[in-house]
Amino acid sequence: MAGLSCRLLLLCLAAAGASADLVLEEVRRSLDLSTHLAKISAELSLANAPGGAAASTFLLALEPGLEPRLAHLGVQVKGEEEEENALEVKETKVKGKSGKFFSVKLPSPLAPGAKVRVSVEMVFTHVLQPYPTHITQSEKQFVVFEGNHYFYSPYVTKTQTTRVKLASRNVESYTKLGNPSRTEDTIEYGPFKDIPPYSQDTLKVHYENNSPFLTITSMTRVIEVSHWGNIAVEETVDLKHTGAVLKGPFSRYDYQRQPDSGISSVKSFKTILPAAAQDVYYRDEIGNISTSHLLVLDDSVEMEIRPRFPLFGGWKTHYIIGYNLPSYEYLYNLGDQYALKMRFVDHVFDEQVTDSLTVKIVLPEGAKNIHVDSPYEINRASDELHYTYLDTFGRPVIVAHKSNLVEQHIQDIVVHYTFNKILMLQEPLLVVGAFYILFFTVIVYVRLDFSITKDPAAEARMKVACITEQVLTLVNKRLGLYRHFDEAVNKYKQSRDISTLNSGKKSLEMEHKALTNEIASLQSKLKTEGSDLCDKVSEIQKLDGQVKELVLKSSVEAERLVAGKLKKDTYIENEKMHSNKRQDLVSKIDNILDAL
Amino acid sequence: SISVAFLVWPLNEFNYRSTHHLASHGFYEFLNWFDERAWYPLGRIVGGTVYPGLMVTAGLIHWILNMLNVTVHIRDVCVFLAPVFSGLTAISTFLLTRELWNQGAGLLAACFIAIVPGYISRSVAGSFDNEGIAIFALQFTYYLWVKSVKTGSVFWTICCCLSYFYMVSAWGGYVFIINLIPLHVFVLLLMQRYSRRVYIAYSTFYIVGLILSMQIPFVGFQPIRTSEHMAAAGVFALLQAYAFLQYLRDRLTKQEFQTLFFLGVSLAAGTVFLSVIYLTYTGYIAPWSGRFYSLWDTGYAKIHIPIIASVSEHQPTTWVSFFFDLHILVCTFPAGLWFCIKNINDERVFVALYAISAVYFAGVMVRLMLTLTPVVCMLSAIAFSNVFERYLGDDMKRENPPIEDSSDEDDKRNPGNLYDKAGKVRKHVSEQEKTEEGLGPNIKNIVTMLMLMLLMMFAVHCTWVTSNAYSSPSVVLASYNHDGTRNILDDFREAYYWLRQNTDEHARVMSWWDYGYQIAGMANRTTLVDNNTWNNSHIALVGKAMSSNESAAYEIMRSLDVDYVLIIFGGVIGYSGDDINKFLWMVRIAEGEHPKDIRESDYFTPQGEFRVDKAGSPTLLNCLMYKMSYYRFGEMQLDFRTPPGFDRTRNAEIGNKDIKFKHLEEAFTSEHWLVRIYKVKQLDNRETLDHKPRVTNIVPKQKYLSKKTSKRKRGYIKNKLILKKGKRPNRKTV
Repeated sequence: MAGLSCRLLLLCLAAAGASADLVLEEVRRSLDLSTHLAKISAELSLANAPGGAAASTFLLALEPGLEPRLAHLGVQVKGEEEEENALEVKETKVKGKSGKFFSVKLPSPLAPGAKVRVSVEMVFTHVLQPYPTHITQSEKQFVVFEGNHYFYSPYVTKTQTTRVKLASRNVESYTKLGNPSRTEDTIEYGPFKDIPPYSQDTLKVHYENNSPFLTITSMTRVIEVSHWGNIAVEETVDLKHTGAVLKGPFSRYDYQRQPDSGISSVKSFKTILPAAAQDVYYRDEIGNISTSHLLVLDDSVEMEIRPRFPLFGGWKTHYIIGYNLPSYEYLYNLGDQYALKMRFVDHVFDEQVTDSLTVKIVLPEGAKNIHVDSPYEINRASDELHYTYLDTFGRPVIVAHKSNLVEQHIQDIVVHYTFNKILMLQEPLLVVGAFYILFFTVIVYVRLDFSITKDPAAEARMKVACITEQVLTLVNKRLGLYRHFDEAVNKYKQSRDISTLNSGKKSLEMEHKALTNEIASLQSKLKTEGSDLCDKVSEIQKLDGQVKELVLKSSVEAERLVAGKLKKDTYIENEKMHSNKRQDLVSKIDNILDAL
Repeated sequence: SISVAFLVWPLNEFNYRSTHHLASHGFYEFLNWFDERAWYPLGRIVGGTVYPGLMVTAGLIHWILNMLNVTVHIRDVCVFLAPVFSGLTAISTFLLTRELWNQGAGLLAACFIAIVPGYISRSVAGSFDNEGIAIFALQFTYYLWVKSVKTGSVFWTICCCLSYFYMVSAWGGYVFIINLIPLHVFVLLLMQRYSRRVYIAYSTFYIVGLILSMQIPFVGFQPIRTSEHMAAAGVFALLQAYAFLQYLRDRLTKQEFQTLFFLGVSLAAGTVFLSVIYLTYTGYIAPWSGRFYSLWDTGYAKIHIPIIASVSEHQPTTWVSFFFDLHILVCTFPAGLWFCIKNINDERVFVALYAISAVYFAGVMVRLMLTLTPVVCMLSAIAFSNVFERYLGDDMKRENPPIEDSSDEDDKRNPGNLYDKAGKVRKHVSEQEKTEEGLGPNIKNIVTMLMLMLLMMFAVHCTWVTSNAYSSPSVVLASYNHDGTRNILDDFREAYYWLRQNTDEHARVMSWWDYGYQIAGMANRTTLVDNNTWNNSHIALVGKAMSSNESAAYEIMRSLDVDYVLIIFGGVIGYSGDDINKFLWMVRIAEGEHPKDIRESDYFTPQGEFRVDKAGSPTLLNCLMYKMSYYRFGEMQLDFRTPPGFDRTRNAEIGNKDIKFKHLEEAFTSEHWLVRIYKVKQLDNRETLDHKPRVTNIVPKQKYLSKKTSKRKRGYIKNKLILKKGKRPNRKTV
């Protein structure tokens, strides 16, 4: 550190030594004050006086009043070909002078007598002060800008012009150095000749500016990367109207009926999201904000954001906006090496000002060797761990802060890390394992007996239940046999083929015997179990015997009918009688079965 | 295209806020929570005045999920708690109905309770009310009670007690259980259905349940000190006496026993009754609370507690709302009740009592419709299931309803049979052989179709009600254009969020109590009164401020340190639930506490009408609420057909269009003027005169004009005698 500062000092001295020969031949400066930002751009034509050393750097200076409000400083060389390269800018110090100094490295050392054209762009925030500071709803907003008539520089300026662009033609007052000319909303100062170094003269403009004075007082941007193909972005925004504070009542009637009432208030603004943004949500602590519109364009997604209420001076609001992005557009990899290229800050509204920004990038669990490349200086806080769905040892979170950001800061930041692809399997395996354990436990619980006491009665009951179930099916089957036999008898009656009858009878006898035996064996089993159901089964057996008798009887009668030994009337009568009896018996059996 | 990421906000902001407090500060901190944001300047001891069941449940789920690294916000847990618990309610309803009738009826009952509007109202996502989980606890307690009466096992009874404990921790409606179960036991005794099972179940339940219920800080000693709980104690004593007599019966002759029995029972009943009266009289037992009285005497609240009567949920139920909430179930459930009574047994006695008492209570108050809904679902399911068994069971063996629980009991007891249940519904040989008796297939078809039609209409109705009445949160209003597009009126949240963002963190907001929880939850500001209407006089004070004139109101507001006043005004969009329509309740409640200052009759025209137009009473036209509602409204012309200042809600041109405030200032009005917020100004440094300075004769009326001209710069004496010279007549000759 000490070495670095030492070297810096040496560099300064060297620069200061060499710069003695530099002269600003011409400076064309323009101040854009039409929004709530002060955008100062200057075109310098830098000349190295002949006879000196070649200059590889030159100094840029900022006057003491404005310097803490600088948000962005960009320096470019204007070449013949329209290629514009940003130059490297380093902050330095000059002894005995207040203000801020930057040393700019030229692309090639400037030889003595040579010239180079450089354009400088500076953006200042919160330098337009509302005056009066409090206005009522019907009043317009006026602001004061205080700056410097001259281009503040450590070099002599030969000739300089300043053009000030205002938001409206309504100007209360402005300083009149050198009799400036004013047309509509611009004021032209100069040309001023031969200005000594470090000259300052206050430029003051007081004019009407109703452009939205919106400021993001604080913003948290969380980027959550998933290797399963999604990047979730969520921005929590605290917004404040930093213009003239509303004084007195807010009348909705005036606001609705008079077009110029509350002219400086902000009703809505547009946020441009990346073109691939999906599932956009816009909400706050109390739920979804229903007043937003989403417009999907070819190269971006435009979201018209309307806060719940119009923002007057001094009012604030807070909201959360979030969306998903496909990871293939932002995540690059080579083997285990990954690089995430995302914007450090994204567009919220045009001419945005962010006072304080916190960016959190959540990398997948297991990401290692994290390295961040950023286009400008950021303050890294110590990394955190984030636990969410199915995490075991936490996801690394990169935390970075930066304050005072403007639109020029919308640039890509690159995060390099390594990630073992095997770890992708961890989460699915965790789910599989959890379900496996769950099912296995259930299986074990259901299959094994965990009761403390053995209940012999219950066991016996279960056995009995099992046997009775078997009995039930068998009895049913047996009853089915009779129906089959009946069919055979009917067929016989029609076809008068004695063989069908005989074969039917045979099969009935055989199967009936088998079933009866089976039931009997079950019955004996029941007996050994000591169940009272045994008696019921024996009753069934008895009834069944009667049924069988009846069936056989009716078949004999049918035989007789076919043989002509029996009259049809009597047969029908008998048959009716039989079937009635049978039904009685069967229903009896049924009842017993029900009771089982 | 509009992308709307729906995020529901828990409807009951207070419950959500306390759950949030519990989740972020821990359980003990929650129990000791003193909420200084409510009931300013009194504050509220939340831990001791709240049923913590809901918050603890949500907090526990949140805690477990976060332990498993499932990063769910507590708000999402709260939002989805009600649907989860309605699922559990369906399961417990199934179990209870299965115990009462059979599995088929149980399934139907579960289906009914899943979609019936009367319960959907509490179980939509975002409804974060005590009732949502309480109905589950209620049904489950009843199931376990029926189970324990059936089995007489201490195990089931203890389960029942635990479930009862959960119910006590969740909802004040636990009083319903602690009165219904003793009633059941009492009726069983009267019906000579006393058994050892009942004795074991009730004795265990009463003792363990009593002790458990007293663990809830808010309940405390109420179970032994208030009249609402005395029936349970009485029945407990009676049951002991009865059991003792039963024991004696085994040892005495019949004659001796009968005399002893009547003597004993009447003596026991008498002693219990007298001791309750004595204890009430001496103050050991608190008499019935006003809210309890209002259950018996529907006119009671209107006279004595206007604040209870002012809540729309406490109005007597109309037939329309019965039909709206239950649809055809309201017609079919008496049939189910009849089936139950026809085949009575111990647990069906219970359901009959449940039905009858719930019907009564639902008739008294709209809110108690909620307790009626489950029993209606169960009994209707029994009715439908019975009809379907008869008419749909073609070749199926109809399972006779188990007449005595013993056989059914047998099935339940051996789990081996559970798998074989299907075997019971086998083809009956005898039936196949029999010709179909009685009912022709046509009749069967027609009846079945009719029933199915009814059920379909029921399902359609439920869907319609759910989508129209219950699924939009009351805080967001939706209107439909004639082309079918939807307009969302998000004024409430607009104004609440404005309060949250752009007022001082400790600002005190005065509003009518309906909006207290919402302001506390969404705007996160201190309120004076809120939906927990325990302090009538404080509410009356707010009512008085609203109904007084501005200067009187200013005094009250100064004394209460009010910074902002929030009112709801629906005149622009025609929203009927606004403060002017509620205004008479404010007047009534204020009159109850301050009869000298506020009289309801002052706010009516001599004809006894409540009018906001020119004919309205001058007291009304100059009271604070009127002025705040209609401030600058008189200039507003909504329509070309109507005059400026035409109130769409009340269809009248307002009577006082020239409204000026001295102590208040419009701070915010939402887009559709639904919410208007006024700032209460600080005292002026110097009192401005509200009349013209007194004119005295000392100051001349006309400004003195000097008659001096530049030519005559001599002195001038006022009232100097001036010589008047006569004019010389023209001499003229005639």
